[in-house]
Amino acid sequence: MKVFKQLFIILGINLAGDLLSRYLHLPIPGSITGMILLLVLLLTGVLKEKHIRETADFMIQNMGFFFIPATVGVLVSYHALDGYYFQTALVVVLSTVIVLSVTALSTQLLINLKEKWKR
Amino acid sequence: METITNAHLFGIFLTVGCFYLISLVRRKSGFNWLNPLLLSTVIIICILVLGEIPYEHYMKGGGVIHALLGPVTVVLALPLYRHRRLLVEHKYSIIGGIVSGVVSAIVSVIVLSRLLGMNEFLERSLIGHSVTTPIGIGLSDMLQANEGITIISIMITGLLGASIAPFMLKLLRVTHPVAKGLSIGTSSHALGTTKAIEMGETEGAMSGLAIGVAALTTVLIVILLQFMGWY
Repeated sequence: MKVFKQLFIILGINLAGDLLSRYLHLPIPGSITGMILLLVLLLTGVLKEKHIRETADFMIQNMGFFFIPATVGVLVSYHALDGYYFQTALVVVLSTVIVLSVTALSTQLLINLKEKWKR
Repeated sequence: METITNAHLFGIFLTVGCFYLISLVRRKSGFNWLNPLLLSTVIIICILVLGEIPYEHYMKGGGVIHALLGPVTVVLALPLYRHRRLLVEHKYSIIGGIVSGVVSAIVSVIVLSRLLGMNEFLERSLIGHSVTTPIGIGLSDMLQANEGITIISIMITGLLGASIAPFMLKLLRVTHPVAKGLSIGTSSHALGTTKAIEMGETEGAMSGLAIGVAALTTVLIVILLQFMGWY
């Protein structure tokens, strides 16, 4: 019963997010709208953590599983890259390393600055 | 054979089986570097190619699992809620960190693509490589680029981010869990977040937060670029 109740709530919020994104013509997909919606419901106390806890934790802890079909999809779309495999891989790899470093260093810098400011 | 593979059960069984068996090996052997998602993908692709099984057959069942990515994204709000105090405490650092990451993503793709002499169509397809899949597809459409290339670039980014993040963060001497989580989520979306969750609860929550905020920021910047007539 508990899992069904939790699934019912989570799927309902996802559906509500999809409807909001579509009918308000938001530039973000319904799942992200649903994530914001769930956060608002939790913060306002309309929903309690216990209403979704076990199912949500299961999904979060095993998130990789849900991505498998998407990554297998590479099998059919790699042809679009014909002739540009090396360049594309290089751009993506370098850019990822850059983004990771820039975000990590700038966040750490801002946090350190703030902590110095406080003292 | 066809009657077995061309059914919903086949894709679901194959995915569940691979993920379970690899996770089991990982736990029993203590090889924590084994990535169940990456390995499952490789094994399933091998099975499909060697067994001459059409991708469409696999996706009958695979599509059912794929459809659950929606609710999985929605519940990422829970770790955020659990860390709401941290969120308020570091709000400026968080916004500053994510925005600088998103800007570096877009600028680095444009600069690198031009340096390597790639065409503008490919460049536009790669702009969204750091964002979560559904938004990346949306961006690709907005820029009239190739969805397939965008999806591949998102997958490479996610798998790469998940595998190099611990090493890179150690190399850069980044130790604050907020900075670690944000950088993983901003650079390698939900796929990287699977690694952030393993690193710790705070890292996971911040990575989950970064997925949404970084994706929204990317969309806004691309709209701005289009408005300015760049694309």
